[in-house]
Amino acid sequence: MNPLLIAAILIGLVTVATAAGLVWRRAQGRVRHSTSETVVSAQVLGADLLASGVTLLQFSSPLCAACRATHVVLSSIAGQRNGVDHVEIDLSQRPELASQFHIAQTPTTFILDRDGVVRARIGGALKREAVVAEIDGILVTA
Amino acid sequence: MTTSPATLRSRTGSTSIDPRSPRFGAGITAVLLLVVIALSLAAPSVGTLGQRAATPGFILFVAISALFAWGAGAGVQRHPYGALFRVLVRPRLDPPRELEDAAAPTFAQGVGFVITLAGIILHLAGVPFALVIAASAAFIAAFLNSVFAFCLGCQFYVLILRVRNARGAAA
Repeated sequence: MNPLLIAAILIGLVTVATAAGLVWRRAQGRVRHSTSETVVSAQVLGADLLASGVTLLQFSSPLCAACRATHVVLSSIAGQRNGVDHVEIDLSQRPELASQFHIAQTPTTFILDRDGVVRARIGGALKREAVVAEIDGILVTA
Repeated sequence: MTTSPATLRSRTGSTSIDPRSPRFGAGITAVLLLVVIALSLAAPSVGTLGQRAATPGFILFVAISALFAWGAGAGVQRHPYGALFRVLVRPRLDPPRELEDAAAPTFAQGVGFVITLAGIILHLAGVPFALVIAASAAFIAAFLNSVFAFCLGCQFYVLILRVRNARGAAA
């Protein structure tokens, strides 16, 4: 095969891989608001009651470095605010929840209001400011 | 510049590593896979089994596959690229902000081994472009891991859980 064509293929491959990486990185930590209403009951979380304000529900898996970082952020937010709880579920212990809630990656974070309605989903490692903004939005209208 | 151990072993036996080390190794692997692709595209794609086994691209690809097997079996902390990182790169960097469990990158090495092994078998069987396609798939995974810290095994762990769960429910 002609060397120029080989070079073009290599460049094309690197370009495609770079584009895929940038798309993936952009999607990480983005807050999605679903139009359909998904409800997570307290029973699913093994509790009698949900938090009075907001529940930060984190789905994790073992050996997930981004899950550790997300855990630190969410538990810090929950610790600083009344009525906000952080709950973490290890999907390897409860794989049925991965199918039930259509979870594609870990960490995945659900932001629940006090009725258990999933107000926002965040896939991948997240940013503190985005979560705090969502919590404020929910509590204002609660 | 402070020094810290390159690996830490916790009481439970899990090993923690500098997360930049597997990404450095993935970068080397990505470049070598581009070389494999270039060599394979330049070589004729069919011939006798002996000819196919002797192409330089294939030989390099087998070496890459063997390194994946080593990483998957011995763990990334004992991988030769890890040693290269510790000697050449680590002294020039600040200590890592945090360490990661070696098990996830070790699993990713296993994924790499499976992909490259499939390429080796299909190439020897005479499937056209098997080497180029397998090397491209492995390249994309290694490149994404090195440049974007994307971990293929981590991303697919949940999907694997769901498939296993669905099979269990159907049984």
